[in-house]
Amino acid sequence: MKLKICGMKYQENMTEVAALQPDYLGFIFYDKSSRNFDTSIPEISNSIKKTGVFVNEDLEVVIEKIKTFNLQAVQLHGEESPEYCNDLKNRQAELVSASLEIIKVFSIKNEFNFEVLKPYEAVCDYFLFDTKGKHPGGNGYTFDWNVLNNYSSTKPFFLSGGIGFDEIEAVKKFQQSMASKYCYALDVNSKFEIEPGLKNIELLKDFKTNLFFHANHGTDSNLNKHMENYNVNEKGYYGEFGGAFIPEMLYPNVEELRQNYLKVMAEPDFKKEFDQLLKDYVGRPSPLYFAKRLSEKYNTKIYLKREDLNHTGAHKINNTIGQILMAKRLGKTRIIAETGAGQHGVATATVCALMGLECIVYMGEIDIARQAPNVARMKMLGATVVPALSGSRTLKDATNEAIRDWINNPVNTHYIIGSAIGPHPYPDMVTRFQSVISEEIKWQLKEQIGRENPDYVVACIGGGSNAAGTYYHYLHEPDVKIIAVEAAGLGVDSGESAATSVLGHEGVIHGCKTLLMQTKDGQITEPYSISAGLDYPGVGPMHANLCKTGRAEFMSITDDQAMTAGLDLCKLEGIIPAIESSHALAIFEEKTFKPDDVVVVSLSGRGDKDLQNYIEYFKI
Amino acid sequence: MNRINKKLQENKKLLSIYFTAGYPNLTDTVSIIEDLEKNGVDMIEIGLPFSDPLADGPTIQASSTQALKNGMTTEVLFDQLKDIRKTVSIPLIIMGYFNPMLQYGVEAFCKKCQEIGIDGLIIPDLPVDVYNDEYKATFEKYGLINVFLITPQTSVERINFIDSISNGFIYMVSSASVTGSSSGFGDEQMSYFERIAKMELKNPQVIGFGISDNETFTQATEHAKGAIIGSAFIKHITENGVNKTEVFVKSILG
Ligand SMILES: Cc1ncc(COP(=O)(O)O)c(C=O)c1O
Repeated sequence: MKLKICGMKYQENMTEVAALQPDYLGFIFYDKSSRNFDTSIPEISNSIKKTGVFVNEDLEVVIEKIKTFNLQAVQLHGEESPEYCNDLKNRQAELVSASLEIIKVFSIKNEFNFEVLKPYEAVCDYFLFDTKGKHPGGNGYTFDWNVLNNYSSTKPFFLSGGIGFDEIEAVKKFQQSMASKYCYALDVNSKFEIEPGLKNIELLKDFKTNLFFHANHGTDSNLNKHMENYNVNEKGYYGEFGGAFIPEMLYPNVEELRQNYLKVMAEPDFKKEFDQLLKDYVGRPSPLYFAKRLSEKYNTKIYLKREDLNHTGAHKINNTIGQILMAKRLGKTRIIAETGAGQHGVATATVCALMGLECIVYMGEIDIARQAPNVARMKMLGATVVPALSGSRTLKDATNEAIRDWINNPVNTHYIIGSAIGPHPYPDMVTRFQSVISEEIKWQLKEQIGRENPDYVVACIGGGSNAAGTYYHYLHEPDVKIIAVEAAGLGVDSGESAATSVLGHEGVIHGCKTLLMQTKDGQITEPYSISAGLDYPGVGPMHANLCKTGRAEFMSITDDQAMTAGLDLCKLEGIIPAIESSHALAIFEEKTFKPDDVVVVSLSGRGDKDLQNYIEYFKI
Repeated sequence: MNRINKKLQENKKLLSIYFTAGYPNLTDTVSIIEDLEKNGVDMIEIGLPFSDPLADGPTIQASSTQALKNGMTTEVLFDQLKDIRKTVSIPLIIMGYFNPMLQYGVEAFCKKCQEIGIDGLIIPDLPVDVYNDEYKATFEKYGLINVFLITPQTSVERINFIDSISNGFIYMVSSASVTGSSSGFGDEQMSYFERIAKMELKNPQVIGFGISDNETFTQATEHAKGAIIGSAFIKHITENGVNKTEVFVKSILG
């Protein structure tokens, strides 16, 4: 089946969509449409048919557009008569492309009299069926495809109208039914948009891989299993997890962000500034390093994604750079953040210094005492560190305090959340900023071993931001297995643990529905891990969904296992890892990989901050 | 008719008091309610304590932490309240965060509320749209009024939407803040009170957050049907014990 992507509007976005190699790209020439095309078409591959969409347009205008834009197909969306189509067909000789395809559109509600197609049979190349609604096309919902069971023609047709990511299963079912016998192509538009005319590239990519890649490669049941959407949906949910469970006082702030984040991220100058800073300031791309001696020890192929080499020593800075640019675009002048160990606090203080913005970091009173060097760093960088004195005086309470600050300062303040947690759109926004990790892994692996996909991607999970970034571009690649590593603390059953996937139940924390450690009564409990960055009672909603659907395998690693694995990496590879990252490294003692397996591990941070812990633990 | 609706029809400005169940002592809940009614309070919000009360300031947070330490749970609260309708007739509302309710089971929670004679719920972190899509029918089945918050930042369209799905009163948060923060209302707040009053919503409005004495109570009820006091009352019982409710209520009503 072919794919047509319709309603193109913006230059750069067009180039990106074209890179996905659809079969048709649609340009709407109708000034009443919010996707009316009024610029020029960039250089795109000849194998993609440029399609002009018209509504009861004067024939001469259509001809002129065909010539100007070198269109290979015309889609007629109004009440154009068979004679009109015939006239158009007869004018082909004077066009550059002698094989103009004519697509005639018919809108269907709950029933359709297919007799009306008859006069068009001889004068069109394809029919296109979309949903009858208020507007000519673009109504955003599907019609009842069962109507097509009565399709009496043999002319191939395009199926259109409200097809989005959530329709993948329905489309697959349709493909297996008789009604799809003459279905030639799928036509998508509004369900893949950030705003009218601006297409969501990642979503399109996932849709295409899911539906088209697999459709062409048979339907192995194992493949089918991974065809769900693991990204956030339109309503801010990952399966049943996510959402925005926030008090009304926060609604305007969160809503402002939700309405703008994708739009801002798609702006060319935003991307440019983000990429530039990641390169020149953070030091990206971070190396993908083949750990030879470690690989020998475990008789498999281990690659380390060196986020520890980023400025400030961890992946956290990818997100804070993105969010500070976002805050500036939204006109915010005051930045707040929460921090546990101080890594995210330092990364936030750093970007605030870089941009000259006021920075307030909330940190639990107990954490302030145990993480003195990071407190000093934040202060040197110009931030104000405010102790969280409520509750258990650790990360979760620092997060509460930051949220309260935001409630009290709804207009000028942006809250930079440090992990893939919080109310929608935070988990998705943080994930997108961190997704540079897997974007790089893809081309780096390709360079090093000739293929983009490893057999496994592995990351530790506190809230889940380094993990989300490491998995992101592999979520819908069924041949890549995902391993998520949680902190078991003193042991999963010890009462001193942070293994949320084992100990947690569905609940609401910090504005999202996710897996959460809590009492039977719904009070949030205190987790424990030697690593402050994994010491969080929940996981991001994306990971809750990966766990629930079985897309990711969850493992828990104790303090002792992590510390041993950390020291091991020092001795074998000359790298002192953050204790968080050591958890991910410890799985090689637990799980056996095949000698040929390529296992990419996110080395999320360096161990400088943990020196005191290492010293005390090993009595160095 | 629901007790809340009946109360809202009375021709007077309403005083509503919030307190945290199980504070200062686990078993104070019932006597505080009885005392408040005796001293002329019109409506009571019983706070079901939560470990992470995002919308609350230090006073209510601290009382919640203490109440949980005292052993307060959803079960315990329902048990304490099981005979409350034998002695108390004013409207009772449970105010709590969504997670404890979710764990108890939303339907079971609502059912229990009806059995006891609870009239409504205030759940600050249950968003309007989730309520509307998933839980409205359940609340209505058990005769519970759900009360939504609006703030000075809430848009006109959203206020109208909230008004359309409410069937009791609208809880007007006096300013952009957590509970217990401000002292006295300035011009900005007074004009916000006026602006909302002019919208002539179908539901009456009750103002909360930052009301602590006779002056703020009078200011708040100039345009609104009533006012809710929380932190100031908790401070009062923290400092004076639970037996001096009368003094507090008098000081508010003047
Ligand atoms: C080095 C490092 N890795 C991992 C984490 C865990 O956070 P996340 O799960 O968001 O990646 C932290 C958090 O502080 C960290 O500093």
